[in-house]
Amino acid sequence: MACIEMHDIHKSFGAGEVLRGCSLTRERGGVTSIIGPSGSGKSTFLRCLCHLETIDRGTIRVDGDVLAQDTPTGSRYADAATLRRICGKMGMVFQQFNLFPHMTVLDNLMIAPQVVQGRSKEDIRPQAETQLERVGLYAKRDVYPSRLSGGQKQRVAIARALVMEPEIMLFDEPTSALDPELTGEVLKTIQRLAEEKMTMIIVTHEMNFARRVADRVLFMVDGTVAEEGTPDEIFDRPQQERTQAFLSSMIGER
Amino acid sequence: MEYIVSILPTLLSGLIVTGEIFFLTIVLSLPLGVLLAIFRLSRLRVVRDAVATYIYVMRGTPLMLQILFIYYGLPLLPGIEVQFGDFTAAMIAFVANYAAYFAEIFRGGIQSISRGQYEGAKVLGMTYGQTMRHIILPQVVKRVLAPVGNETITLLKDTSLVYVLAMNDLMRMTRSVVQRDFDTTAFFVAGVIYLFCTFVLTRLLTRLERHYAVYEE
Repeated sequence: MACIEMHDIHKSFGAGEVLRGCSLTRERGGVTSIIGPSGSGKSTFLRCLCHLETIDRGTIRVDGDVLAQDTPTGSRYADAATLRRICGKMGMVFQQFNLFPHMTVLDNLMIAPQVVQGRSKEDIRPQAETQLERVGLYAKRDVYPSRLSGGQKQRVAIARALVMEPEIMLFDEPTSALDPELTGEVLKTIQRLAEEKMTMIIVTHEMNFARRVADRVLFMVDGTVAEEGTPDEIFDRPQQERTQAFLSSMIGER
Repeated sequence: MEYIVSILPTLLSGLIVTGEIFFLTIVLSLPLGVLLAIFRLSRLRVVRDAVATYIYVMRGTPLMLQILFIYYGLPLLPGIEVQFGDFTAAMIAFVANYAAYFAEIFRGGIQSISRGQYEGAKVLGMTYGQTMRHIILPQVVKRVLAPVGNETITLLKDTSLVYVLAMNDLMRMTRSVVQRDFDTTAFFVAGVIYLFCTFVLTRLLTRLERHYAVYEE
């Protein structure tokens, strides 16, 4: 059974159709990179999976459970409890980090387990500290996010998502807001998750990283999946002219 | 000096009434203001419009008119005909009025928090209520501290409006002393008392601001 199934997803904002029938099917443990020009709908596609956007048409299933089911009158979403359970399997990391500025790093990690799972601080603290150690920021546990560099913020955001023990991690341009010299530390953290066989979908503009980390690459343009394949297929032998043009504009000049 | 000491007990008895109105209004209108702000941002149009109308009326008419209406107007209204005591009537008017002002301040504060904060909380599994309580409102407090402080100081002086119900607050006691003794010293003493209260309030607000300065956004 496929872990992630997104079938024929359509999504409009007002008059503009952002997604025009995108599909993606992945097994557990698979790492998918989604690349493509700005405005191609990559982020929206990812956000639909964790219900940050509601789709107009199409079907989404996670581990076989229906999140949204296509019907002749549009997609019908599961009830609130089911949505919560399905989305609880997914962790999300944003371009803008979205850390909670009024809490220390450690509290950022502990608030969701406390509020959502009703666990006590004492109960969750060891786990939160372990995650901070994994991203190399245990020493920063008592500072507020504003004191961190961009790269550190993003690593905290990753740790915060991991404390909820997600089975699937979604990354929405995790390094796009970072200074170039800070992207490395974040990419390394994601790379390590891939080695631990975490199921992941990563929307990124880092072509080298997209190729290295993933076992499957989607190239999106104008709200459609223009090409899909293994990293070697997409990067070495792109079939479509649009893919070739995009790749040469992203890496060609080097 | 002897004269000032002799009128002080009278003025201070008025200050107690002023203080009661002030503290009760703050304690009741702040939470009510938060609630109204959340309703003002409701997804349901009916709720949104109802609260907007309420705020419009409360901010668009003088507080004194509201006090008079609740005390003198309601008993005459067919079908309602309730007569509140003067203190209760004043409290209802003050809380209703200040909650409307606070609601608008909180609404602005809530809307100033970026969408990313809601999304960050949502993907961690929090409900709307949990997000509001643990993520949004704590950040709103810091942002609205200055305007709320302003309103608080205004309220301290607005309490003097209760003289229209012949309630013996600091201002009315002062006037009665002046009229009794044909001596305006009481006005100065009252001014100093008001200034002292404002001073304490300002210090309190500064302390709160310092407390919230531990984090930046």
